[in-house]
Amino acid sequence: MNDGPLIVQSDKTLLLEVDHPSAPEARKAIAPFAELERSPEHIHTYRLTPLGLWNARAAGHDAEQVVDALLTWSRYAVPHALLVDVAETMGRYGRLRLEKHPVHGLVLSSTDRPVLEEVLRAKKIAGMVGARLDDDSVAVHPSERGNLKQALLKIGWPAEDFAGYVDGEAHAIDLDQSSWTLRPYQTEAAQSFWDGGSGVVVLPCGAGKTLVGAAAMAHAQATTLILVTNTVSARQWKDELIARTSLTADEIGEYSGAVKEIRPVTIATYQVLTTKRKGVYAHLELLDARDWGLIVYDEVHLLPAPIFRMTANLQARRRLGLTATLVREDGREGEVFSLIGPKRYDAPWKDIEAQGYIAPADCVEVRVTLPDGERLAYATSDPDTRYRLASCTHAKIDVVRDLVRQHAGQPTLVIGQYIDQLDELAELLDAPVIKGETPVKERQRLFAAFRTGEIGLLVVSKVANFSIDLPSAEVAIQVSGSFGSRQEEAQRLGRLLRPKTEGRSAHFYTIVSRDTVDADFAQNRQRFLAEQGYAYRIIDAGDLTAEPS
Amino acid sequence: MHADADRVATALQRLLDLALAWEAPGGIRALSGVADAMRGMPGLVSGLRPSSPEPPEPDEVAALLAGLSPAATALLRHVDAHGGEGTTGSARRTVSPERAASPAEELISRRLLVPRDGDTVVLPGEVGLALRGGRTTTEPVDEVPGLATSARDAALVARTAAGAAFDVVRRVELLLDHWSVQPPSVLRSGGLAVRDLKAVARELHVDEAGAALIVEVAQSAGLIAEGNEPDGTPVWLPTEEFDVWSGRPTSERWARLVGGWLSSSRVPSLVGTRDPAGKSWNALAPELSSGLAEEARRLALRVLAELPDGEVLAVGTGTASLVQRVDWMRPRRPAIFADLVTAALGEAAVLGISGAGGLPPSGRRIAEDDLPGAAAAIDPQLPRPVEHVLLQADLTAVAPGPLETEVARRLHLLADVESRGGATVYRFSSGSLRRGFDAGWSALEVRDFLTAVSQTPVPQPLEFLVDDVARTFGSVRVGHAEAFLRADDEAALAALVHDPKARTLGLRLLAPTVAISTSPLDVLLPRLRELGAAPVVEAADGTVRVSRPDLQRARSRRGRRPAGAVEARRAAQVQAVATAIRVGDRAETSRPASATTTTPSGALAALRDAIEAGTTVVIGYVDNHGASGERVVDPRRLDGGRLSAFDHRADDVREFAVHRITGVRTA
Repeated sequence: MNDGPLIVQSDKTLLLEVDHPSAPEARKAIAPFAELERSPEHIHTYRLTPLGLWNARAAGHDAEQVVDALLTWSRYAVPHALLVDVAETMGRYGRLRLEKHPVHGLVLSSTDRPVLEEVLRAKKIAGMVGARLDDDSVAVHPSERGNLKQALLKIGWPAEDFAGYVDGEAHAIDLDQSSWTLRPYQTEAAQSFWDGGSGVVVLPCGAGKTLVGAAAMAHAQATTLILVTNTVSARQWKDELIARTSLTADEIGEYSGAVKEIRPVTIATYQVLTTKRKGVYAHLELLDARDWGLIVYDEVHLLPAPIFRMTANLQARRRLGLTATLVREDGREGEVFSLIGPKRYDAPWKDIEAQGYIAPADCVEVRVTLPDGERLAYATSDPDTRYRLASCTHAKIDVVRDLVRQHAGQPTLVIGQYIDQLDELAELLDAPVIKGETPVKERQRLFAAFRTGEIGLLVVSKVANFSIDLPSAEVAIQVSGSFGSRQEEAQRLGRLLRPKTEGRSAHFYTIVSRDTVDADFAQNRQRFLAEQGYAYRIIDAGDLTAEPS
Repeated sequence: MHADADRVATALQRLLDLALAWEAPGGIRALSGVADAMRGMPGLVSGLRPSSPEPPEPDEVAALLAGLSPAATALLRHVDAHGGEGTTGSARRTVSPERAASPAEELISRRLLVPRDGDTVVLPGEVGLALRGGRTTTEPVDEVPGLATSARDAALVARTAAGAAFDVVRRVELLLDHWSVQPPSVLRSGGLAVRDLKAVARELHVDEAGAALIVEVAQSAGLIAEGNEPDGTPVWLPTEEFDVWSGRPTSERWARLVGGWLSSSRVPSLVGTRDPAGKSWNALAPELSSGLAEEARRLALRVLAELPDGEVLAVGTGTASLVQRVDWMRPRRPAIFADLVTAALGEAAVLGISGAGGLPPSGRRIAEDDLPGAAAAIDPQLPRPVEHVLLQADLTAVAPGPLETEVARRLHLLADVESRGGATVYRFSSGSLRRGFDAGWSALEVRDFLTAVSQTPVPQPLEFLVDDVARTFGSVRVGHAEAFLRADDEAALAALVHDPKARTLGLRLLAPTVAISTSPLDVLLPRLRELGAAPVVEAADGTVRVSRPDLQRARSRRGRRPAGAVEARRAAQVQAVATAIRVGDRAETSRPASATTTTPSGALAALRDAIEAGTTVVIGYVDNHGASGERVVDPRRLDGGRLSAFDHRADDVREFAVHRITGVRTA
């Protein structure tokens, strides 16, 4: 028996005992190939998945290293079947290669003939490849490069893409680091992306993903298309790029519902790209408008399915995906892998938090009891209105008021789902509200005022979930959410994780109605946060006044 | 011999000692039976083929061989390599060398192949010898085939084996725990259905071959056997032995499993493959055994035990070399033996007897058949049982090793297992905690247990969850009642419930205005009236039902027949009556004329006569209702105690039971 910190389970999960003296070393050894699934206080759970192993393979790790790491750090003997499976899975990556051929253009080749035969016999693949060139290779039309990679991944033989990229139209971009410097992990992330060619960088919210994008652009020195989730975040990208790089406002274009500019660096929203007019995507030509040298996808985990299909045709261009989590609520992780690229860099929240780049957060669930009248209404209502009833109880409003009072002087966000509730809160707290119908200009003005400290309290709806930089927020109070989505929780917490002055920790309150469906959903959130390693407390609304802030 | 001279001498001496060969005047000869017994074995022993009665000189044979066409030489070598016997097919037996048309004829004509009975030809011993350059075999036979090995740390071997051993014990336990609750049924042919095997594979996180091995090993160790469900369906169930086994330390449990495997004749490796008839083998099927299995296992382990510590079978080539060695040691085993040895090696690895291709000390004990010694040797390598778990805020508990049985059992009740292996991950949910409350735990007990079993403080969310479940547990209570009583007058209801005369009604007050009764309504209602109450009955929807019962009426019958039917029926009745009367008359008329035979044998004889003669007889017959009567019949057939005869009154052929025939007379 070995006294390692790692326990390898037969269902391919790895348990890492955090308090073990050699845990950090073991973590370092397994991080490249195992995906961190949850990280509560004592035992972190990693999972071995084919995608994870292929990601590792793409990053240059081989099966021997993986097996060795498992054997070295494992406390008990590692199940033999698991080792065999690891070796076999990793062996599958790279047996097929997509390569440039001087005569035939793009070629799918293999050193292992039976694999090529098997693959070519698959129905899905047959339509995508052209003529057989010789025993070991087959021609592929360049336009099928993405679809083929996607299909190959699905049948379990992911191809390694060696076909390279077009350089794109050159454009000088430099980082202007006179007043700031790139953090070490940002440099590292950009570098490993560039070395890998294409791929995804996973960094927690607030860790400065925009700067990784900027650094990647500086590597590329070429025209860049940046795809973001919404207009507000497009503007933020623009501001950030102007501030941090040699680019000027004239060089950066916005391509959104409102403005349609195509410049050397163009920032487009997902929304505009997926807009259909008469059944066709109206703005697809944007993708070919210039000879882009780099395409950046912000918040990859939200990438809409149509964009995946468009991306399939962009395989000759370098692609950088930025995200806080590879977890997609729709389970399309495989498509991110095959169409954008493998994971190139990953740093867990806690690590970056420990380095002081993001603020630690204190997560509290406040439980309120529904007044008797509302309880009865809740009990007799339809299941589909129950959540709304439970979320919008008036008992919550008093709690919000108490919390705001407790944290007076600290920049506070109140986040909710239901507009009526938000309006009511805004009125009661005498605070501005940002919701879907608020014009972009007004939103930006309010956000700017909040950042400067002019406004200390902001009531926001779902629109605030994504890519709005509010580094100064110290307290977030969540009154209702969309059915306990993990992604939403990550985003909301991300709002708070920007480093705070004087090292103060952020507070994240969730107000939950006891004994209702609201509490059930809260359990999902609670589990997510606990899995992410955040201290999680539950207090009763009645005890709130006694709670020191 | 293609071997070293000294070794040949030793081997010969051994044969002489064993009296399998004897020193004849012309040299050493095998006993006549030995050569016959070894005929037909490929390759190795063809040198022992009998020579022709008057063998030609070796030079002559060599000259003949030299003069052959290449095709004939190839054919001859082929025959030699395949046992020295062949069939000729269309080749002519008597042909001169000049007229030979095919390689076979060429050989026969030169007497290099000798025709025997049928179309078989044999290769004479002297030809075979000449063909192999004067030797009995083409390959050297005195060299022990080497094993392909590589170096591997002995500690790693021991760890790998222990890991596998722990796994297999855990899996068997898991499987049998599962089967205790949901036993799979026994196939009519005696095996385990493929579907059930797949379910096992899923449950245990192994492939189907692995699942088959686990199931078979459990059976070999006597831990499962055929049993019956309460409804009589035959199912596979854990035996009582299993309960004893579960209580032993892991190392002993492992030794028990391995012991069962070692001495069993089962062949789990065949599960999933098809037999010669194309039917696939099921696990636990009774036919799935081979007399060679045990020998193959013991031999494989014995050879493996020859490797020194730190040396293991090489990956890839090692197994093949071991099989070759075993083949050399036991040349006369059928071809399946090699497969059995290969399978035995694989199974030994899964069972933790070998690790990484080598035998750890525990495995060496097994090879020596010392099971207690093996258990003692593997014991220090196995994970120690732990008594504590780590509770975490995400509502999981992790046991970083095998849990003590009692703790595991309790935790099992309160939480669901999420992941198994060296460690076990449990997850608490409201559902799992409720299970604990259902089993009679209180919130306090649950919390005390968690505090006691956890190495770390109980996380706050878990405490909240326990309290939440405790709060809602039992907030709605359900019971059984036959009827309820409602009254606005609390005093009246209380008086009724406490009335000593109402004691037998089983009344119980639920609330001041509601009581229930264990008596059904039709008993309750008259009794309540007797007690002076004036109850009204409530319908299911809460409305009051009038106490006067509906008057009951049956529907009047309405039968309509077509007009002519009545007449037709009457005519038929008249006809039937007339026929019956006439037959009766005939019976009457014939009665005095002939003597009635009343003895059973006489009756049978009379009936047979009537059948032969085709005459009409009158029989006395007792019908189903015990009434005796007479029938005028033409007997047709008599067998099996039944008489088949044409009944004049029924105008049809009827069957009569012979034992009910009281007498027979001619009509």
